Order: sequence, then structure tokens, then C-alpha cells
Amino acid sequence: MREAILRALERSRADYTEIRVEREWRTEVAYRKENLENLEASSELGGIVRCLVGGGWGIAVFNSLENLERRVEDAFRIAKAVSAKAPERAALAPTRPVQDEVRVTLKKDPRSIPLKQKQELLRRYNELMLKHSGKIVSTTARYTDSFKEVTYANSEGTFIVDERPDVTLLLSATAREDEKNIQTGSESLGWFAGFEAAENQEEHALKAAQRAIELLGAKPVTAGVYTVILDQDLAGVFIHEAFGHLCEADFLFKNPRLQEILKIGRPFGIPELNVVDDGYLEGLRGNSKYDDEGTPRQKVYLIKNGVLNSFLHSRQTAAKMGTQPTGNARAVNYQFEPIVRMRNTYIEPGSATFEQMLKDIDYGIYACGSFGGQTMLEQFTFEAKYAYEIVRGQLGELLRDVVLTGNVFETLKNIEMIGNDLVIKGTSGGCGKDGQFPLPVTTGGPHIRVRHVTIGGKAS
Amino acid sequence: MKSQKIRAEALLEKLAKQTDGAEIYELRTVELPVRFRAGALESVKAVETAGRALRLIKDGRLGFSTTTDLGDDTYLVQNALESAHYGDPAPFRFPAQQPAPSVQCFDPQVEQMDEQSFIALGEQIVEKIKAYDATLQINVGLSKELEEVSLYNTSGLALTSRRTLLSVSVSATRAREGDIFTIFEATSWRQAKEIDGLALAERLIERLRLAERIVPIQTKAMPVIFRGPGVLALLIPFMVGLDGRNVFLGVSPLRGKLDQKICDERFSLIDDGTLDFAPRSAPYDDEGMPTQRKFLIERGVAKQFLYDLKTAALARAQPTGNGFKAGFMGGGFRYPPRISSTSAIIPPGDRTFTQILKDLDEALIVENVMGLGGGNPLTGEFSNTVSVGFLARKGEIVGRVKNTMIAGNVYDLLRERLIALSDRPEWIFGFAHAPAIALDGVSVASK
Repeated sequence: MREAILRALERSRADYTEIRVEREWRTEVAYRKENLENLEASSELGGIVRCLVGGGWGIAVFNSLENLERRVEDAFRIAKAVSAKAPERAALAPTRPVQDEVRVTLKKDPRSIPLKQKQELLRRYNELMLKHSGKIVSTTARYTDSFKEVTYANSEGTFIVDERPDVTLLLSATAREDEKNIQTGSESLGWFAGFEAAENQEEHALKAAQRAIELLGAKPVTAGVYTVILDQDLAGVFIHEAFGHLCEADFLFKNPRLQEILKIGRPFGIPELNVVDDGYLEGLRGNSKYDDEGTPRQKVYLIKNGVLNSFLHSRQTAAKMGTQPTGNARAVNYQFEPIVRMRNTYIEPGSATFEQMLKDIDYGIYACGSFGGQTMLEQFTFEAKYAYEIVRGQLGELLRDVVLTGNVFETLKNIEMIGNDLVIKGTSGGCGKDGQFPLPVTTGGPHIRVRHVTIGGKAS
Repeated sequence: MKSQKIRAEALLEKLAKQTDGAEIYELRTVELPVRFRAGALESVKAVETAGRALRLIKDGRLGFSTTTDLGDDTYLVQNALESAHYGDPAPFRFPAQQPAPSVQCFDPQVEQMDEQSFIALGEQIVEKIKAYDATLQINVGLSKELEEVSLYNTSGLALTSRRTLLSVSVSATRAREGDIFTIFEATSWRQAKEIDGLALAERLIERLRLAERIVPIQTKAMPVIFRGPGVLALLIPFMVGLDGRNVFLGVSPLRGKLDQKICDERFSLIDDGTLDFAPRSAPYDDEGMPTQRKFLIERGVAKQFLYDLKTAALARAQPTGNGFKAGFMGGGFRYPPRISSTSAIIPPGDRTFTQILKDLDEALIVENVMGLGGGNPLTGEFSNTVSVGFLARKGEIVGRVKNTMIAGNVYDLLRERLIALSDRPEWIFGFAHAPAIALDGVSVASK
């Protein structure tokens, strides 16, 4: 295949050409209650060619690798048509050509583990949840693994073979009191690792079931504006949704007005606030040594000492904004071109202990665990799995249905304390943008305390 | 195509000997997405993909596998057999071919559209919005999709259909210090003449105009009018409750409520897979069952849940032609079939939107939300952030609200608090057709 790719690149008439070919092996085991909903082993092979001519991109996506040269010709022809209409020439920030072969060593390569073993593991987790209590009426236990071998080459001499393993586990239990009170507890996990990561997670199955039962007795939150402590999960989702997406330079590289608002050096929070997007942290789902443009990973400070420090870039956004690419051009699979995405995004730990955060809150909310979130630039929303009242500095009753919203500029300024207990983790889901979902990422942070957070729910 | 059929038949013949039954699903897709960013053409993409899925039943157990290697079935068969070896007992058999409704899914005009026609339409949309406000960041996406779907099984079923789909989406961002506002419109249809890109742009401009002024809103329970994509905040909990799988598992609040009144009698909900050219229409579902038009809720009474083959067999119900290899946001050959709604139709009421608005001293109009599925859909609870919402007083829209959330229980609200349904339904992203729905007593929270 190497020869076919190099030959196709050599014959390309475009200003810049890249070819990415992905081979994937994946399995899924999914239980719903006592039924095995899916047990699957599948494979996939496909590729994408991207050509740049002037200011226009032409892209070709395909499964059949039989005639790569024709695909390159197709992409070139389209790019030419686009460039006739694209007013501005697109430049790519220079990167050093790379020749590399990234092989991973896994303790238990999922490709060599029999399907039966995966199914038995999941059946065990599922039974733990089902048998936990008579009130558990339904469960979901889902395991996925994927092993990708990504071959990336471009017309500047880069040729990389990159192996990307991914394992996820979703354990979710639903408990029912009556038709008005049906509650779900779930644990969502994901790793850049082999099958071993999904083993020995019994405690998470029990935790999911236990949470569902506890939530039957929780009271719904009352809508209002509160001082909120976010646990590490939620702090991570918050920083990813609310701020991380705003730092993706493809939103702003062609938008001078947004660039004026988001000036590097603009204060965003207290000096203790540091936000990082990192291309490599051992075992984490956001990892890859190179992005899908062949740019090596790096650690980027989005906020340093409370001040906006950097954006996340592809080669094109970096060139346009006069800076260096950051290794954030990622594609969810071969059907898509790389766009600017996060990897492992987190708030660096500060100095506060959880007790110090609680101490002087008269009435507030401690929100824990994340059901995911969404953002539209300045406005964001995310949902907690469960929460507790904080009454006069003490944790009180369990609360449910806690959905938070805010404006990122105000909310970051309203972070008043940053904990000392950083946790970064992956989930079984992923990040979605421009139709590319689910991209493996991780998020994290220490506990953080934020004032004036709007929480939806029943109006009192 | 002919050789494809011969290939599939040969494979099925082979599998018929070693299994209790097998099903091959094949999807070939050609797409042409064209993208404008910041008002300028950025990229065109030519997609040509193909994949095959195999389901089989061996020793009474169900197996599943997919591949993109259409030239070699060795691993596909091996994987599916291994999966069946450890799989669950299959409660159903692959169906023989049955008569199906005639449903139009192919428009040659869409097939013929090329990148030049998309570029021209994209430019017109951009120009129109720029003429309103040249400082807006405008992104436009246009695409056609040609699908060739084939389904064969060992019960003699052999279906092949060609489908087209045309999609247009437009977003505009207005960035000001202290207010970054993004608004989004999208539509898709299987027939070209029903897609009006400029009307989409006009709709977007109308909302941008209304959004100029920002007004405060108080935290309280009040009338809320759900309109356009805003209706999805209500529809999603209903679809979760009407999903036959959730009913079977006992996690739907509608279990045991068929033929009971669950809503105001002015409210009905239809699932329709037979509408000509609707994006979610087809004569057959992805398991080969004929699609249907059926009332799920008729004049407030729960009538029918949605089923695929497997869930219907488990629940001892009739399949409803809702087994699709696609979720709410699309799918493809990679997924085993599961329950999915087709077009969700809410029949209109008899009052105009203006009349409804006039009769309310104060109302929040919710045009779009973030965090769909937020709250607890299993009990009918929704809790969403309003992304596009307007406050109206005595029939006049006074401005846009920010940093505002809505919450409530769709079953309670549609049973007790329905004010009115408007007389003019509209398509929402091509998969739901609904009027504006005015409800009283919705919880609104804001700063």
C-alpha cells in the first residue's frame, strides 16, 4: 500500500495533497436487561484524499482502495473548481515532514481476545446491576473496542503509520418506583488501552445500580441561581464545553469580530485558573502522537494564570492567524477531513480543599457526574448525574434533574475557588462537532466552586 | 447491480445450508457535500462508500457483523458465525416479502445536481444574508445523497431501492462584545423542488431581526410556545415513551396505557413512514417489513408503540415497520436494526399563531433549545437551555431572552396545560411536522 500511496501523491497536480487510509477492527457487546442486544465483530477499511488548490479544498472519500490515483485526480478536479470561487489563497503553516511508525503494545490486544470472553465479562457486570435490587427494572451494559491502523501521508514528505486503540464501557441501571419516578444511574468509561482496561470494573456496575436506587429518593432541584461546586467530572465537561470549543480556531480564523473579542491576553478568570489541552497523557482517550495532518502532539495552555494564552489550531488556522499549529487537526474517521478538535482538556489543580470550598456556602449545590453537554460559542449547558444540597457549609439531601447553563465569559470569571484534586477521565461517548461524532477525548479538573450559576427545573 | 444480486443470492444459498436463516443488507452511498465558511466557498467533498451487514440465526442464536470489503465475505461470515455462537436466542425469523405501500424516494433532479448547482445556491444564500448584515459570519452546507439499499434474506425477500436526499443548512453568528449569537436553520427532503434555500435564509434573517434586542425574563411558571425545532424539546420524551423497547423493559411511563387518555384530546401524534419524499420514508424498513402510517396518540389516547422485529417478538406485539439501521441522527449499514420513528406528524389546531400570542399577556416563544434529552425523558421530564427564544407581551415580540432554561413534564403539560396548537404546521429538519404548541405553567429559569 505504501507504494500505491506514494505514487498517487507523486502524480498529484494539487498545491498540497494528503492521503489517509484507516483499517479498523472493532467489536461490541451490548446487554439491555437480560437480553444480549448486540454481539458483533466487524472490520472496516476506507480512505480519504484531500487536495488544496489555491484557496479551495477538494476531498474524496472511498472504501475501495483499488485506484488511489483516480481518487487523487477526483479531489484535485474538485479543488480546482472550488479555487475558482474561493477569493483567498489558503496557506498551511509549515511543519517538518515526519517519517514514523507508531506501534502500541497492549497488555491484552482486543483483536486476540475471543468474543466469548468479552461477552462473559459484560454479562457479569450486567448481572451485578440487575441483581442489585428488585427495583432495578432495566440495565444497559455496553462494551466496545476498536483498533485502528491509520496510514497518513502528504505531498510534503510525511508518512506516518499510527496505531490507535480505544476501549469503552457503559454501565447503566434504571430503577423504578412508579411511572412518575424512574431514575437512572450510569458509569461511563473509556481508555486508550487494550481489553484489560475494561476488566475488574465491578465496582462501577455496583455504583451505577446503587445511584439509580438512591435517586428514587432524591428530590428534584428547584430552578434558580446558585453557588455551585462542580465535581471533577463536571468541571472537566464544563471546561470542554464552555471554553474548549471556543478556543478551536476554526470558529474564529475567518471572523475578525470574534478575534477582537477573543484577544490573546484577555483576562478570563482568577490568576489561579490554568486550562490545558494536552496531546498525550498516558492511557487517555484523547491521545495520538500525531494529529491527522501529521503535526506532532503538544501541550497547549489555553488559559495561563487567568489570561487567554492560546487557541487550538490546524495548519490552515495557524497560518491564517500567524502562529504555530498545535496538533489539534483531528478526524473522527476516514469519512471526514480533519477539523480543529480537543484532545485531553483539563483545569490544572489549585490549592483549595473540598472542605474549604464547602465552608462558607449558606445554601448551594454540589453537582456531580456528567450526562454530557452542549455549547453554542458563548452559551453552554450540561447535565449532572446527581447533586447534593449544600446547607450552611454541610452536604445535605440528594438532588436530581440538575441541568446547568451559563455564559462562558461570566461563568469563568465567577470561578472563585479551584481545588487541589485533579482527575482526568474518558467516557464511553465522545465529542461531536460538524457531524463528526464520537471523537475520543478526555476532560478533567479538580473540584471548582462557581458563583451565580443558573440551574433549570421546577420554578418555586 | 445485477452481479450484486447474484453475489448476495450465492452467499445466502451457502448460508441457508449452515444456518437457520440469514439476512444481507447492503448500502452504497454517493454524497456531495459543499461547504461555505465565513461567507466563502471552502470545500467540496465527493463521497463514494459501500458496506455490507450480515445477520444470521444459527442453532437458534442471533449473530451480526459488518464489513466494507465487498469483494471477500470470508471474515464477515466467520465473524457473524462466531457472534451467533455466543449470541442470544433469536426470538424472530427473517420475514418473507410482503406487499408494501408505494412510497416515492427517488428524484432524478437530485441525482443530476452537481457541485456547480450547489455552489450557485450557496452563493445566493450567502448574498441574501449578507445584504441584511455584512458583518455576520455565515456558514452554509449543501449536499446531495444517493443511496442504493439492498436487502436479501433466506425467506426469499429481495428488495432494492434507490433513494435521493437533498440537504441545506445555514448558520449565522453575530459577534459583539457581551453577546455572541448563533442561529441555525436546516432542511432536507428527497425531492429537489421542495427545497427552498432562499426561504431558509429569509427565516434566518427574520429571527436575527427579532433577536436584535435582548430582554430580561423572570424565573417563574408561565406560558411557553414551542415552535419549529423548539417542539423537539417536547417530542423527544414522547418518542422515548412510545419506543416499544422501553415499554417492554418497563421504563416507559406509557406501559399499560394503550387506549387510555394520556393527553388533551386536541393532541395527536402520527408516525408516518409512507409520506412521499420525506427523508425518513421508504416502502420497507431495514428488516423488510412494510412501513406504515399510524396514530401513536389519537385525540389524546395512546394507540400504538413502535416496534422492530426483535422487540415485537419479545413483547408479543406486532412489528410496526420501525426497524431501522439508523438512530435519531442517521446511521448506516454498521448498526444492527433497532426501533426508530419515521416522520413524526403532529396534526395542527385551528388558531393562528398571532391569535394565540395575542391572547397571552406574556409568553416565552421557544424556537430552539440546547441539551435535547436533558431532564429525565423516561418520566417525561425535560430540562433544556433556550438557545433561540423570544419574549412576547400582548401579541408583540419584545426581544430575545438569554441565559434561560425551561423545564416541565410533557405528559402533565399536554394533559392539563395545553393552551392551543397553531393552524400552520411546519417541517422540522425534515423528520417532524408540527404546529406551534402553546403550554401554560412551564417552568422558566433565568438570571
